[in-house]
Amino acid sequence: MTAVQQAPPTRQEPRRRPGPRRFAPRTAAARIRALAALVVVALAATLAAMWIAVSDARHGMRVIGHDAGPQVVATSDLYFQLTDMDAQLATALLIGGSQGLGVTRDQALARYDEDRAKAAAALLQAAKLADEPSEAATAQAVVMALGSYERIAGQALLLDRQAGHTAGPPSSRVLDLYRQATDLMKLDVLPKAYNLTLDDGTLVRHTYEDERAAVRNGIVAVVVTGLLLVALLVVLQVFLTRRFRRVLNPALALATLVALALTGTAAAVLSGQAADLRRAKVDGFDSVLALSRARAIGNSANADQTRFLLDPERADTYEQQFMTKAQSVLYLKAGNLAAYNQAVQRQAARTGFLGFLGAEAARRGVPGQEAAFGSVLTTYKAYQADDRRIRDLVTAGRRDEAVRARLGAAAGASSGDFATYDRALVKLIGIHRAAFDDAVRDGDGGTRHWDAGLPVAGLVIVALVLAGVRPRLAEYR
Amino acid sequence: MRITALVLAAGAALAGCGVAGADGDSITRKDALVVGVNADQPGLGLRTGGTYSGFDVDVARQIARRLGVTTVTFKPITSATRESVLRSGAVDMVVASYSITPERKTKVIFGGPYYVAHQDILVRKDESGIRNVRDLKGRRLCEVPGSVSFPRVTRERGVAAVSVRADTYGACLAKLRSGELDAVSTDDLILAGLAAQAARDGGAPLRIVGAPISDEPYGVGLNSADIDGCEAVNKAITTMYQDGTAARLLRTWFGPVGLRATTTVPQFEGCD
Repeated sequence: MTAVQQAPPTRQEPRRRPGPRRFAPRTAAARIRALAALVVVALAATLAAMWIAVSDARHGMRVIGHDAGPQVVATSDLYFQLTDMDAQLATALLIGGSQGLGVTRDQALARYDEDRAKAAAALLQAAKLADEPSEAATAQAVVMALGSYERIAGQALLLDRQAGHTAGPPSSRVLDLYRQATDLMKLDVLPKAYNLTLDDGTLVRHTYEDERAAVRNGIVAVVVTGLLLVALLVVLQVFLTRRFRRVLNPALALATLVALALTGTAAAVLSGQAADLRRAKVDGFDSVLALSRARAIGNSANADQTRFLLDPERADTYEQQFMTKAQSVLYLKAGNLAAYNQAVQRQAARTGFLGFLGAEAARRGVPGQEAAFGSVLTTYKAYQADDRRIRDLVTAGRRDEAVRARLGAAAGASSGDFATYDRALVKLIGIHRAAFDDAVRDGDGGTRHWDAGLPVAGLVIVALVLAGVRPRLAEYR
Repeated sequence: MRITALVLAAGAALAGCGVAGADGDSITRKDALVVGVNADQPGLGLRTGGTYSGFDVDVARQIARRLGVTTVTFKPITSATRESVLRSGAVDMVVASYSITPERKTKVIFGGPYYVAHQDILVRKDESGIRNVRDLKGRRLCEVPGSVSFPRVTRERGVAAVSVRADTYGACLAKLRSGELDAVSTDDLILAGLAAQAARDGGAPLRIVGAPISDEPYGVGLNSADIDGCEAVNKAITTMYQDGTAARLLRTWFGPVGLRATTTVPQFEGCD
């Protein structure tokens, strides 16, 4: 209310001095009209600032919550589906004609087909999101490379079926074909698919940063114009009370209160919008995307475990790739896989490591996240312990047992424990997905009534100003 | 007058908002770039007189050109200084066989990788007894103090190779050619660069075995605040592979020594 005390003293007599002030209204009535007109202009500016800020908030929420955001999340599964295709191909070739291992070749191939269908859908979605020629070219290159992959995979499967073998490494001709296929997947298909989803995420990041900055600037604009409006109303009030020797003009006082309330509410709603955008982006979108990547890369590591058994000659390379991928999921410094496993088993705290799970460990304030994250860590440890056992069995020359320890679905078998870990991770992703949906719902709800509310509030203030001013002007007629 | 001041303040606040959050230091907004490169790595980054040449140097030029940069200045850096020069702003970008690791990612941001190198083994062309890392058991392998390559074979892989010390990989190469040792193991691009130089100088032909035991994603190091720059670098690398430039550069620098280079775009690290 400093504006009241510091408002320039209103003169009782019109000025006669020529100069810059000669256009200033000379009569009291003219001054009242001029002040009222200024109030209306300030009101229009305030409403416009609110309108623009609310539209920015809505645009941000629409892109992140309804358009690009969910679409990018849908494409993040692409990488997972593709790695899973190669994983299922490796499993099918490793099993051969064997039955009773917990999984059969036909089951693995059925899942391969399922993956392919989902990958195709995700790829189409990702291609639609491509907004630059280089991205479109990447999407096209993925389709081409995937076609080559399928051709080679088909040859390997046919040859393997014709040769017929029990669980364990297939013939060298089949292995040759599989190597071509998996190299193609690893070097050509997967990097491009991954980069494509990274590019699409960029689109969401840009919208988020632009709109969030716009909303924050909008808050400043709303507060400044709103306070200007209030100040003008107070000036008008002071002028009227002095001029007409009244205590208070109730209609103007009410208009001032409405203007204050409107400004305050708008600022609060807009900061709520900025917070909802942030929640949707950081707690929801970013986490879902990062954890989906962790899931896809972990699945690819799991396939390297199969490849390690499938192709003894390349075992060293596959073991190293398993470790690289495991470290990108949960990074602890270690020179080799045995040391990595020891470090993972020793890791008791929920923080103190890097990688995708390290970034997730730093997140706070999402309900249910801590418990779900805890079980991701526990199940990851169990899976890594299985991995160690498999590799120790191979080193000890007990390859058949290693294959069984790999393929079994029961607890203590690597496949089963990986599935448990994967479920825990999917649950954690679901928690962030729910946080995303919540934030989007709150954001949508926060601005629901503004389209009608703003004009109504404007009309109310105009009506109150008129009601306060007209009787006073009437005294001059 | 109070009101005028308020209006002015509002105007200033609104005008100020236009630049809020903009990062004036992004490489996407510069016409001239200072790039940190190696000065002593044949095939990758080598200074001869005042000029720099090599795969890293050419990649840096390509990226700069695709970012619309007109002037590129190269500055020699070492593995000890590359993080500090990026953080201080002494260089804008580091392209210097700089492997992306989770620890380094906490200090700088990485565009790319522009290539994924692998630790591999270099032998004399007539050597037939070394086909993978396990065959190094009992053989004479070059050890450069401070490099992680030798311990990776002996300690991490548990292969009992015999150490022959040399100060640099260049010195290793000389010993390999003179028969003082049997194999040199480090990043394949470094080996290929050395071997290509050796081939140009004449002398016993060398061969890369092709049994990778590590992934070394060579990234483009940037100041950690420059997310826009990171995204722009990724775009530049993508187009560099799409139009065949990357394949041509790999052929130019490493083609003659039989490195089976990957000519498809690597999987990026991501900028957030």
